[in-house]
Amino acid sequence: MGKKELKVAFLLALRSLQRGSRSSVILTILIIGMCFTNMIFLPGLFNGIGQSITKQVVDYEIGNVLVSPKSGDQYVSDLGATLSLINGMPGVERATPHFTKGATLKYRQRILGASVRAISPNDEKSISPLYTKMIAGSYLGQDDTGEVIIGKPVAGDASIRQEDEFQSSLGGVRVGDSITIDYGNGYVKDYRVKGIYFTGWSQADSAVYVTSTDMALVDPKAVDNADYITVKAKPGYSETFIKNELIQYGVSQKVQTTSDLLAKSMGRALQSFAIINMVSLIVSIIITTVVLFIVITIKTINSRRQIGILKAIGVDKEVIMHNYGFQVIILGVLGIILGIIVTLGLAAYMAIHPVVTPEWSATLYITPMDLLVNSVILFCAAVVAGYVPAYQVSREDIQTAMRA
Amino acid sequence: MIAITDLQKIYRMGDVEVRALDGVTLDIAKGEFLGIMGASGSGKTTLLHMLGLLDIPTSGGIEIDGTDVSLLNDHEKTMFRLYKLGYVFQDYALVPDLTVMENVSLPAMLRKDLTEKQYHDASIDILTKIGMLDRQDHLPRELSGGQQQRVSIARAIVNKPDILFADEPCANLDTENSRMVLDLFKEINEEMQQTIVMVSHEDWHKEYFHRIIRLQDGKVISDGTTGTKAH
Repeated sequence: MGKKELKVAFLLALRSLQRGSRSSVILTILIIGMCFTNMIFLPGLFNGIGQSITKQVVDYEIGNVLVSPKSGDQYVSDLGATLSLINGMPGVERATPHFTKGATLKYRQRILGASVRAISPNDEKSISPLYTKMIAGSYLGQDDTGEVIIGKPVAGDASIRQEDEFQSSLGGVRVGDSITIDYGNGYVKDYRVKGIYFTGWSQADSAVYVTSTDMALVDPKAVDNADYITVKAKPGYSETFIKNELIQYGVSQKVQTTSDLLAKSMGRALQSFAIINMVSLIVSIIITTVVLFIVITIKTINSRRQIGILKAIGVDKEVIMHNYGFQVIILGVLGIILGIIVTLGLAAYMAIHPVVTPEWSATLYITPMDLLVNSVILFCAAVVAGYVPAYQVSREDIQTAMRA
Repeated sequence: MIAITDLQKIYRMGDVEVRALDGVTLDIAKGEFLGIMGASGSGKTTLLHMLGLLDIPTSGGIEIDGTDVSLLNDHEKTMFRLYKLGYVFQDYALVPDLTVMENVSLPAMLRKDLTEKQYHDASIDILTKIGMLDRQDHLPRELSGGQQQRVSIARAIVNKPDILFADEPCANLDTENSRMVLDLFKEINEEMQQTIVMVSHEDWHKEYFHRIIRLQDGKVISDGTTGTKAH
């Protein structure tokens, strides 16, 4: 096949698409575009959910690396020395301890079980964006005592009757109100609600936060112990690097990255996502392949006499085959472009209107590599689907074709 | 120019054998305007298809310009058709999605020895000759039957083939358009010394032919000149 033959094949393909059935061309492009969108949408959504969960776990739970008590210990002990060691390591943005106690919250007639998390507010700002999520009042000061910040779902809404609540709450606590916290160790204390926050991450939103200074009054163990230490990595440093560094520097506690923990807790879910993605991908490829195969087969069947004529006037079978091949390539490329536009449109829409559940919120997470890989896969499927009938019909003898 | 020796074409339909051509032996000279006539089913189109390398004979030989065409492979036959033969079909057989200019240029575009300018100029010349230059951007469906057949002729001769084959080119045309097409063939034959082999069943067409062979049941039953002077 020379340049001239390819040029003629391309001309025939282009003219067939330009001047043939416009509705058939539009419909085919639409189907390929929708198949592309289908191929990429579900995986993108699952990736978005995964990214969202990961981000929220990092932001509100464990940072990039979690240092928890070694086997057999209840707390991370020798807290001051451990924090100094971790905070001095290259790549560590900040490390901060969390001390959590189960408690019962009381407000007027309402009683609610909750986790009380003791934090070091200033250090926590380097680790978690919680301080930016205040919807009323203000964040905790470093040495606040007798003050608490609570999640919006814990505060509740005074306009909703208790029996109508989706999630139990204190029934409409406002900033400045006083709530009573009855700790598991029998310590009971009244707190002024300093602020109400909402992160969208249910575990953080269903907790309440006090300062470590305050918690030390409730439980003296909080002075030099922590349930865990969250470690934030500086930009450019990987979780694994920090983990290895901590172990290398002699941190004797249990050290795990976010990925380690998510793999344990969400491994099954991720496997399920992968299976659904694969099924979605295969179905889309099959639909695209079958549709293009049918389109080109119908085109070739309807054009058999014309193919015979072309061969009769000296057009080589390769030119005829590539004519249909080019048609498929053009349809495939236009369909993929449409699919990319639709997908990016959906991604933009979902960035503004994310999927929100009580547990998490997610947007469509699609990388340029996802677009490229799916484009290549779909393009290859389209080319195979088009070239098979084109090859068959181009091999037909002239007499049979012309009699059609 | 064309030497046909004992040409046979047998079709098998189940157990039945149909002899479409039964021992045709014939020579066609360069510049001749040959008419192949006969009743339906006499083998006219089959003979034309054999000569035009569109079908393979069961036995016998065809030599065109000294080339034994039975020795050519599929690709060589395609190239032979492209460079040496031209076809005009009964139903014009233009590519519906190509303009008049694109239809005419199509065979020339594939020639390796022509530049884009050369085949474009050749197409313009032919379209001017057949009076269709002003319709060069029209699609076949925008033309009358006579105009389409003229475009089909232009496409057939754009490569200046050695032999032009026409399979009942006037079958779908009225008398006026038929005469226009036949006049065009005559002009091409006279001006370009173009060998033309045309199948027809219209008796009045014979005034255009130099020579007529008549077929019946796949055999040549008569072969004679018409008195029209060949070149």
